[in-house]
Amino acid sequence: MKKRFSMMALAGMLAIGLFCPALPFADTYPSRPIQIIVPFPPGGVADLVARPVAAGLEKQLKQPVAVVNKPGAAGAVGMQSAAVSKPDGYTLLSALVSISVIPEVDELFGRPKTYKREDFAPIALLSADPMIVVVKKESPFKSMADIAAEAKRRPGEIMYSSSGIYGATHVPTEMWAHAAGVKMRHIPTPGGGPALTALLGGHVDILFSVPIIAYGQIKSGDLRPLAVTSDKRLAAFPDVPTLKELGYDVEYYIWCGLFAPQATPKEALKVLREAVRQVVGTSEFKNAMEKMKTPIDYRDADDFQKFWDADAERLIKVIRVIGKVQ
Amino acid sequence: MTIDRLSGTVLLVLAGFIAFETRVLPLGTHKVPGPAYLPLLLASILGVLGILLIFVKAKSPPLRSLKWPEGLHAAAIVACCFFATFFIEVLGYRVTMLIVLGFLFGVVERMKIWWALGLTFALTFGSFWIFNNMLKVILPQGGLGI
Amino acid sequence: MAETIQNLMLGFSTAFSPGNFFYAIMGCLIGTMVGVLPGVGPLAGISLLLPSTFGLNPTAGLILLAGVFYGAMYGGSTTSILMRIPGEAASVMTCIDGYAMAQKGRAGPALAIAAIGSYIAGTASVIGLMFLAPPLARFALGFGPPEYFALLALGLLVLGYMTGGSMIKNLAMIILGLLFGMIGIDHMSGYFRFSYGIVALGDGIGVVPVAVGLFGIAEILATAGNPFRPDILKPKLKDLLPSRQEFRDSMFPIGRGTILGFLIGIIPGSAHIISTFMSYAVERRLSKHPEKFGKGAIEGVAGPESANNAASCGALVPMLALGVPTGPVPAVLLAALMIHGINPGPLFIKEQPTIFWGLIASMYLGNFVLLLLNLPLVGIFINFLRIPYRVLYPMILMFCVIGVYAVNTSFVDVGIMSFMGLLGYILRKFNFETAPVVLGVVLAPIIEMSLRQALAMSNGSYAIFYQRPVSAIFLVGALLMILLALKPLIRKGMDWKWREQLSKADENE
Repeated sequence: MKKRFSMMALAGMLAIGLFCPALPFADTYPSRPIQIIVPFPPGGVADLVARPVAAGLEKQLKQPVAVVNKPGAAGAVGMQSAAVSKPDGYTLLSALVSISVIPEVDELFGRPKTYKREDFAPIALLSADPMIVVVKKESPFKSMADIAAEAKRRPGEIMYSSSGIYGATHVPTEMWAHAAGVKMRHIPTPGGGPALTALLGGHVDILFSVPIIAYGQIKSGDLRPLAVTSDKRLAAFPDVPTLKELGYDVEYYIWCGLFAPQATPKEALKVLREAVRQVVGTSEFKNAMEKMKTPIDYRDADDFQKFWDADAERLIKVIRVIGKVQ
Repeated sequence: MTIDRLSGTVLLVLAGFIAFETRVLPLGTHKVPGPAYLPLLLASILGVLGILLIFVKAKSPPLRSLKWPEGLHAAAIVACCFFATFFIEVLGYRVTMLIVLGFLFGVVERMKIWWALGLTFALTFGSFWIFNNMLKVILPQGGLGI
Repeated sequence: MAETIQNLMLGFSTAFSPGNFFYAIMGCLIGTMVGVLPGVGPLAGISLLLPSTFGLNPTAGLILLAGVFYGAMYGGSTTSILMRIPGEAASVMTCIDGYAMAQKGRAGPALAIAAIGSYIAGTASVIGLMFLAPPLARFALGFGPPEYFALLALGLLVLGYMTGGSMIKNLAMIILGLLFGMIGIDHMSGYFRFSYGIVALGDGIGVVPVAVGLFGIAEILATAGNPFRPDILKPKLKDLLPSRQEFRDSMFPIGRGTILGFLIGIIPGSAHIISTFMSYAVERRLSKHPEKFGKGAIEGVAGPESANNAASCGALVPMLALGVPTGPVPAVLLAALMIHGINPGPLFIKEQPTIFWGLIASMYLGNFVLLLLNLPLVGIFINFLRIPYRVLYPMILMFCVIGVYAVNTSFVDVGIMSFMGLLGYILRKFNFETAPVVLGVVLAPIIEMSLRQALAMSNGSYAIFYQRPVSAIFLVGALLMILLALKPLIRKGMDWKWREQLSKADENE
């Protein structure tokens, strides 16, 4: 009898010991490690921006903040897992502009939406890189007007590579083609790196690329930049005109923002917003982003929501124009 | 019924299934192959190979000669694998592994209870510590926070 | 030449500086451990270490990560040989003959030759990298979709010779693998294929769960509970080293594997695993005793292991010479540099000689350290085989689950591994080879995408394949392979006709 009682007591203590960490003794958020899901493989833009943020947040919130990569399906896998995760503020998402595009593509193909934009509450916008249009130095094209003229002469003959269909480099190219009234031939590749390789090898004619990926080639002169897709000229490339200056109404950013599931408690969101505001101002964060040549474009949640909605409107229109390719 | 004839039939059925599944995808043309083009082509070749297997005259052992001495064991291990698949994120890594290893050591291998428990706990918590804490490979903690 | 020597001196002084030397060793150690763990390959290892490199200077960071990269290639052969579980996807071919050698009590020599071959290949490729990086990189860039397709078509044909057994069955397995590889999002059109609403399948099923499942789990399923367990012979000291004959047999395969691996490695977008398959097939084709393959031919270990290491070095060529990532691992290495504000491009070698030459020198060092590390470890690893199997296999299962889960933090991968394990077990029972399936899974996306990209480039015309010189060469090679394959059939046919004529002549007399 005694033995059984002591065994039960032992078992009970073991159980409490095992289950203990989950009991919400601490009421203040955060009291546990936080996870930031990055829906892309390591080394990409979302990953490179998320890591300094995670490091900064760890200092601010005094809790470990880990970056977890959940790549797949151009980001859909990680984004979906964040959308359905427990909305307790301990799972966040670092996502790119494609977050607006994927549900629209799902609708285009008539399949159930992987997630909806409304599933996420924005915390802050972190960076907003435009795309830069590059051609090889041997190319006869010296300006966007050249390309437009040539494309009008030979519709569907000029080839461009992209990081994937409906992806972050395909959409701005089509936006410009629509604005210029031309048709070009699309050669999709599995990612930003292969797209650049295709251009460098001379297999395609132009590429709308993420600036940092092409930076080394541009500085060495192997690639010639023709335009950027932002509102204002880039500090790293002051001689490169914007598409708007050249007369095309195209604005596109491969932006990166931090999100949380929609149902996350307001207090947690407030803490996170304030923490991110602090992190963005620190010199470590500024240094890290500067080293990656990614301009910081910080907008707090409300501004971010406005920006996101306006951006999504534009993109949805473009996706509908592109339509199904086959 | 020989082993090869059964394999051939299975391949044929599989090929048919794949061809059926590609019906929703656009086929495209020779010049512009669509998403269904290559799968359909491969499925057709697979079907042909299946037919060849059924009718080729090479000697193949009859089905009855297939022995499965390790069958039950294998079934138990497969069950463990699928259990781990579906429960690793729900229950968390440690609980899942405790169950799986405990089952394998205790029930399948019928080790002495103390050995089984000892090895199970040591391996589960040891591996969790090495990977989650030292190597920072995030292993799931499950709904109970374990 | 003198300039190169000078640069090399600079490099060695950088590599031998205490900090960098320490990180090189760390990288190699971690890489070996990562390689030994089933499923977790260099990509996972590097991604895990990436945050730790933020605080280091770029040279040390790059040396550390590169060490993990090629170190993993050394470690991957260990579990392949001892337990028929691929330590990482590219080690699949080593499983076949390596494990067969282990079962015959020759595990020690297999591990030793794997280490030695890896060392020779690694060092030779670093030399290649050092001298030939820029021109090779430009050549590699010229590989466009048509060349890719032609090369892989040739590769598939070469692989018809890969394993013994019926051609029909091997072909069926390659096609099965290709079909598995087509699951997921179709990059050319955006359609999801065969994914049944499971988003995680949207990216395809990935080679790691397939390889670990088909080889590792299937092996456990077939062996645990099998009353006829082969006795692992207790190795004696002299059994740990390869015999003179084995050394002699391995030299040429190592050489061929190195060249093959390096060339395939520099092509952007190719996977290391392709080089191991090709090396195995070439060795089998060139061997005087092809029937030994699959039963413990040392050439089947020496060739693929060397190809493996050479390919990982080759993959660094375009990355360092041009700043172009050739695959997921070089992409992460580039990211590591970018985080430190360095933008690799064509001027990288000129602008950052310390980093480049420091890396080269540390790779020499690293390969040597790994050789020294792995040879004595052979004795230690052999002792793993002494653990009774009933204790060993649940541990293996646990490591496989961790390894496969850790790659993408996805339980779907564990499910794929389980399914593949079951499939592999059944395939073995029905006398099918499983290696071609893994190859198919790797090749499918590349080969299909190349074909459709090439046709998109040429606007539907198939002429592009023979209009471009490199692709035309590969296609001619493929044609030759087909003819060579048909030769015995033709000869048999002619033989038969000739004999019939003889017998007719006999009859008439």
